[in-house]
Amino acid sequence: MGQVKLAIALIIVIALALLGFGLSPAEGISTIVSGAFGGEVGWGRTLVNMAPLLLTGLGITVAWKAGMYNIGGEGQYITGGLLGAAIARTQFGGPWAILLATAIGGALCGALAGWLQVKRGVHVAISTILLNFIALQALAWAVTGPLQAPGTTASQTEELAPPQMLTRFSSRTDLHMGVLLAVVAAIMIWGYLNFTRPGFQLRLTGENPRAARAARLNADRIRLQAMALSGALCGLAGGVQFAGVSGVIDTGFNQQWGFLGIPVALLGGLNALGVIVSSFLFGGLMAGTQTLSRTAPGGDLLIFVVQGAAVLAFLFFQPKREPTHA
Amino acid sequence: MFMAMPSPPKLTLQGITKRFGSLVALDGISIEFIPGQIHAVLGENGAGKSTLMNVIGGFLRPDSGAARFEPGHELPLGDPSGTRAAGIEMVHQHFMLIPEFTVIENLALATIGSLSGPLDLPFDRFNTLLTKLGWEVDLHARTGSLPVGAQQRVEILKALATDGPVLILDEPTAVLSESEVNDLNRVLRELRDSGKIVILIAHKLAEVLAIADWISVLRNGKLVGSVSGAMADETQLKSWILGDSSSIESPAAQPTVASDESEFVLRAHDIFVRGDRGEEAVAITSLGVKRGEIVGIGGVDGNGQVELAEAVVGIRHIRSGQLRAIGKVGYIPQDRQVDGLALEMSIKENFEIKQDSDLVVLPSVVSANARSLIEKYNIKANNINNKVASLSGGNQQKVVVSRVLEGKPDLIVAVNPTRGLDFSATQFVHDAIRLAAREGAGVLLITADRDEFRELATKFLYIDRGNVHDQGWVR
Repeated sequence: MGQVKLAIALIIVIALALLGFGLSPAEGISTIVSGAFGGEVGWGRTLVNMAPLLLTGLGITVAWKAGMYNIGGEGQYITGGLLGAAIARTQFGGPWAILLATAIGGALCGALAGWLQVKRGVHVAISTILLNFIALQALAWAVTGPLQAPGTTASQTEELAPPQMLTRFSSRTDLHMGVLLAVVAAIMIWGYLNFTRPGFQLRLTGENPRAARAARLNADRIRLQAMALSGALCGLAGGVQFAGVSGVIDTGFNQQWGFLGIPVALLGGLNALGVIVSSFLFGGLMAGTQTLSRTAPGGDLLIFVVQGAAVLAFLFFQPKREPTHA
Repeated sequence: MFMAMPSPPKLTLQGITKRFGSLVALDGISIEFIPGQIHAVLGENGAGKSTLMNVIGGFLRPDSGAARFEPGHELPLGDPSGTRAAGIEMVHQHFMLIPEFTVIENLALATIGSLSGPLDLPFDRFNTLLTKLGWEVDLHARTGSLPVGAQQRVEILKALATDGPVLILDEPTAVLSESEVNDLNRVLRELRDSGKIVILIAHKLAEVLAIADWISVLRNGKLVGSVSGAMADETQLKSWILGDSSSIESPAAQPTVASDESEFVLRAHDIFVRGDRGEEAVAITSLGVKRGEIVGIGGVDGNGQVELAEAVVGIRHIRSGQLRAIGKVGYIPQDRQVDGLALEMSIKENFEIKQDSDLVVLPSVVSANARSLIEKYNIKANNINNKVASLSGGNQQKVVVSRVLEGKPDLIVAVNPTRGLDFSATQFVHDAIRLAAREGAGVLLITADRDEFRELATKFLYIDRGNVHDQGWVR
């Protein structure tokens, strides 16, 4: 019932956004739907978009569950990608080594923010926003400096050789191993949060750090670890984009994936399995609006307006949280 | 001098019923509250006392029933601002203060008429009230930094500020020292004599008998009896409160386990501990707890008790000195809602708040553990998947106590472990702690409750401004 209302509201809001750009809602929506789910190509686009959204959404989920309001998915995505690109230049640069490096790169960035919070009391929402700016500048510097493809003037890294890329399932789409990896990661995070002692302690620390402390759990360490894990997942998102899709890193590498992880996580109810669903829907919306923007006026702007409107509609109509007992 | 005044209206409740899911919390309660009387409402934890008060206060809408002033109007139940406008003021069991605000700012919240215009902090008004009460409260202090006893006084001040015809106090004495209780009783009598209805929820029968003009007893959501304060006797009230099963089940009655009396589980020498604001909170030359011993540390709240407990437990840094706790340490913190529980998590998950090295935690194991502790400790819980916040205060405390004792600690540090509990729950917790001591644990019992101190401790120490002495309940 609630879902039906939500779906109707969503369609109305998207229709209004389309009208705002002077488009016919019916045509626009049908273009979005066929772009997202029209045949193998559409599905491929949707799932390829889903992978980084799922990973950053999981990263945000893990951190927020621990009470660490990580806004730095973007920065962690970038630092992950850069460490991956650095490893790719060495003799160890196979696809799995690149993914591992991206996870480590993101984890370091996340852990830095976590460390600033637990040791110095710097609020993680502030530090991660600042680290986003630093990461963006580092990206611009790296792709024109140490990581620039040799012998070119283009601001980008050297393109990965085919064996360095993640396995693709079909020649007609970009659908790659990273999508499967992201879904496996989601199931693992779900199990971790709900069926393991460390996962329980992470959630406890998010709910009431004082109770964790009084039970002689090291709440600071738990939060730091949560930030490292969160960063690792966001970094891994950079890894699957790099080794799965683009093969190069340029100044436009980040594409807002880290920020989009926040609405994806919220729509998923901060539940790892819910995030699979929300990242799929979001991936579809992105695939559809990307198709629409090729033919319609407004271009990329249209993508963001429609997505923003969709997120607001989702959050507005999602079941109201139960008020807490006095 | 009251002759000329029209007699204030009495407050009548008729058939108040309130259900939470399948649980009938209040079952057709009808009571009259007469102006100029202190009316005590007694009952066990979970009997429905707080629910009833929350209904009168407008915080809960009953499923059926009504309340009205006679002569006068009907009370808009389920509408807190409406009942407040009708002059019903409530002092909650759990503080409703904003910790970041100063005391006077919190008090101003009760007296502000509108949200526009300049804010006049009502210093004069409250200084007058404080003088009348004979209380000392620093109006400029940050509220969260005050000891609980002082915060309680702020809550009471807040309720007294508006001068409505009805004042409800939900266990106001739980955190007060004996002389503070006497002060409060004096104030309540004055309020009664001025024609107010004073409704008091309390646990300690002796305290109630000393002050109440009328006593009503609830059990399992029903009104089981009402009696005038003068006619009431303790045995009668106890049987009303407990019902037929007046025998209190307890985990005690176990043979004493021989333990090595000489074995210390805690030794501390020359320890200095700082409080949250960097002040010198604890300075102790020597303190030891042996197996089988219950070392009581009595004293008025705010004298370094929490800091001492946290240092012993190992979650507060010791600036200098030696402190050694041997074996496993169990901690029963003083504020269950702040330090003991994760209120938004389920009842079953709250039993899992502990150190444990197991990696996988299966839901079936968590549920089984919760069920067995609920049974063993006689906890009233409908559904273990509900939030722990849905339990009554006493049952919340039992969750904390059972969790700690079940870990079989060698040293138990308990701070005011029965605060706000009714006497059967208190007895239960006391017996459980005694049993743990008999089985070889050493207990450090830090309490502001003299009865608990006398009854439970086997060794008596006192804390005053962070120093531990071996005599006197130092004020």
